[in-house]
Amino acid sequence: MIDLHGYGPRLFEGALLTFEVAVLSVILALLLGLVTATAKLSRSRLLHAFATLYTTVIRGVPDLVLMLLLFYGGQIGINAFTDWLYDAFGIDIFININAFVAGTITIGIIFGAYMAETFRGAFLAVDEGQLEAARAYGMNSWKIFKRVHFPQMMRHALPGLGNNWMVLLKTTALVSIIGLADMVKIADEATKAEHAPFLFMLPVAVGYLAIASVSELFFKWLTKRYNVGFGET
Amino acid sequence: MSVEQLLQTIAGYLNGNDIFTVNTLGMYWDGFVNTVQLVFISLLIGLALAVPLAIGRGSPLKLVSKSIWLYTYIFRGTPLLIQLYLAYYGFAFVPGIQDSWLWFFVQDPLYPALFAFTLNTAAYTTEIFHGAIKSTAKGEIEAARAFGMSKAMMMRRIILPSAFRRALPAYGNEVIFMLHASAIASVVTIMDLTGAAYYVYSRFYAPFPAFIFVAFIYMALSFSIQGFFRHLEKRLLVHLKPNNR
Amino acid sequence: MADKAIPLEINDLHKRFGDNPVLKGLSLKAHKGDVITLIGASGSGKSTFLRCMNLLELPDAGEIIVHGDPILFKQTRQGREPANWKQVELIRSRLSMVFQNFNLWAHMTLLQNVVEAPIHVLGISKEEARERGMALLGRVGLAERANYYPAQLSGGQQQRGAIARALAMEPEVMLFDEPTSALDPELVGDVLRVMRELADEGRTMVVVTHEMDFARDVSSQVMYLHQGLVEEAGPPSEVLLNPQSPRLKQFLAPNR
Repeated sequence: MIDLHGYGPRLFEGALLTFEVAVLSVILALLLGLVTATAKLSRSRLLHAFATLYTTVIRGVPDLVLMLLLFYGGQIGINAFTDWLYDAFGIDIFININAFVAGTITIGIIFGAYMAETFRGAFLAVDEGQLEAARAYGMNSWKIFKRVHFPQMMRHALPGLGNNWMVLLKTTALVSIIGLADMVKIADEATKAEHAPFLFMLPVAVGYLAIASVSELFFKWLTKRYNVGFGET
Repeated sequence: MSVEQLLQTIAGYLNGNDIFTVNTLGMYWDGFVNTVQLVFISLLIGLALAVPLAIGRGSPLKLVSKSIWLYTYIFRGTPLLIQLYLAYYGFAFVPGIQDSWLWFFVQDPLYPALFAFTLNTAAYTTEIFHGAIKSTAKGEIEAARAFGMSKAMMMRRIILPSAFRRALPAYGNEVIFMLHASAIASVVTIMDLTGAAYYVYSRFYAPFPAFIFVAFIYMALSFSIQGFFRHLEKRLLVHLKPNNR
Repeated sequence: MADKAIPLEINDLHKRFGDNPVLKGLSLKAHKGDVITLIGASGSGKSTFLRCMNLLELPDAGEIIVHGDPILFKQTRQGREPANWKQVELIRSRLSMVFQNFNLWAHMTLLQNVVEAPIHVLGISKEEARERGMALLGRVGLAERANYYPAQLSGGQQQRGAIARALAMEPEVMLFDEPTSALDPELVGDVLRVMRELADEGRTMVVVTHEMDFARDVSSQVMYLHQGLVEEAGPPSEVLLNPQSPRLKQFLAPNR
């Protein structure tokens, strides 16, 4: 392990935390994205309006503002809710919105909106004839979704999902602003203490590039998998 | 309604409100000006840098194209926050800089932020333009060659004008992205919109009004930008739409 | 040896793509007012031959002489290259080309397409170029479409626009690369009519085409290419009406 004035191991821990935040929030984003895309494609006006409001607001507001809102406002909101639960039902719980939760949830919510756009486009890109064929063979709508629509959609969605992941990864740097000890935060502290910005910031930059490069390989592999039957890309 | 009446109405509303006072609204206004200035200037310089860089990115000279690729790879592959920190601390801790004339620029966080934002948006814009240049129809280039155009003229008259038009939607996204990304300027003590909101929050411990208000300002800005680009696209991209006589 | 009266002369042109020789020594002499038609099966090298004439493809060997002015080459490690690209650009501006896929510039209106090269390559004044451009668009029947973008026009209209663009250069020789092959059959007639008029005017033209009627009625000389060589050449009355080689006979058979 590189020592870096004793900050080496801490930077490494920070990198792990960055990765953790990224993975947890991307899972949340994927779920939110699928649900929202489905809502947008549904015939229900209400669901459609709700999903559109969500994606529109997210596209209009900076990530950092949302994160600050959720971090500083979230606790007040949750406290009001739990107080009400206690008063009304005598249920006594305490939910703590710490930086990790606030950061992960904010990033998940933000990228949920972007994922929704990706999924929506991908669902629409699937040839209608494919679904018609599934219907003609008597599949119910869940079977159609699971066996035909989803696998074919993924092929169209993958480039967009990969792109979103790369952007999300960099967005995790914002959690350092609300005090989470990710690699950016540690490098920031180290820089202030040792007055050597390049010594600490450059390894972090390399860390991001490394995660991005590994992700790229992973997505290449995934693309190959989902491209089965569609020839070379 | 006259301006005076309007101000009076606002003042009347503000009377009953202890968070949105004339004082804090003034801060939001200053923040608005700072944000717009910061974003606009970095976009402008970034755009000016991106055009030659995008041309160089497609150069047959490997040294030129590879080094520009490396630049965009690094700036697009790392968080803007890191780039901001590097610009902010990187210059400030250079030995002896405090005694030089450069200190004027370094001590004010605005200049390092401008520096980082400019290089960042230039990198993204370079890739956007490079993609658009690459996707120029082969036949159109061939026609330009067949009519005796030199490489430079072809670039100026045929490739760039059509590439800029095709890049418009992606560039519009980049502008909105920069607006949102600029919120991190508050981290290096710049009183931009987010900085103002943060101040109001900490002063009154009122996260919802402070941040939701600023969220609406950002939204209004974002959608104005989006509207502007839609309008531009409608005007400049008619040529791609078949028959709407 | 260089005759100034001959608009275009090609001597012993060779071209290979990798290991595959596509032109194995082709020559051509276009006198003023000649319409030379190149015919042949796909892969015979006729399009490549045409594209070598204005150096869209670089020939590996052979001479290209425009009005007595030979294109100068130099040897480099990669092979033969033009010695002076300025000369090539100048020569290209004197031989204008009409493409199979029109290749109009999509971001410009039809009129802008027509005046672009005259203004920026030849240096003609904007007013003059506009005036001439409008007249040419009128000639090909597109005066009302002057301010339309290519994507808003039919294939036939685009190709007639592309011919107007080529005419605006006042070229010494016009090169046509299968100008009707990408068109729907009902649109071919209009384009061919314009080309016939140009031939009647005494324009020097080299045309790669599959339109045998056009070749028979309009050309002064027909060249039948096979595997990069001229198999038969001469006036259409000989080559098309009285073919000698069995291959050309077979090639022409479906058109009888």
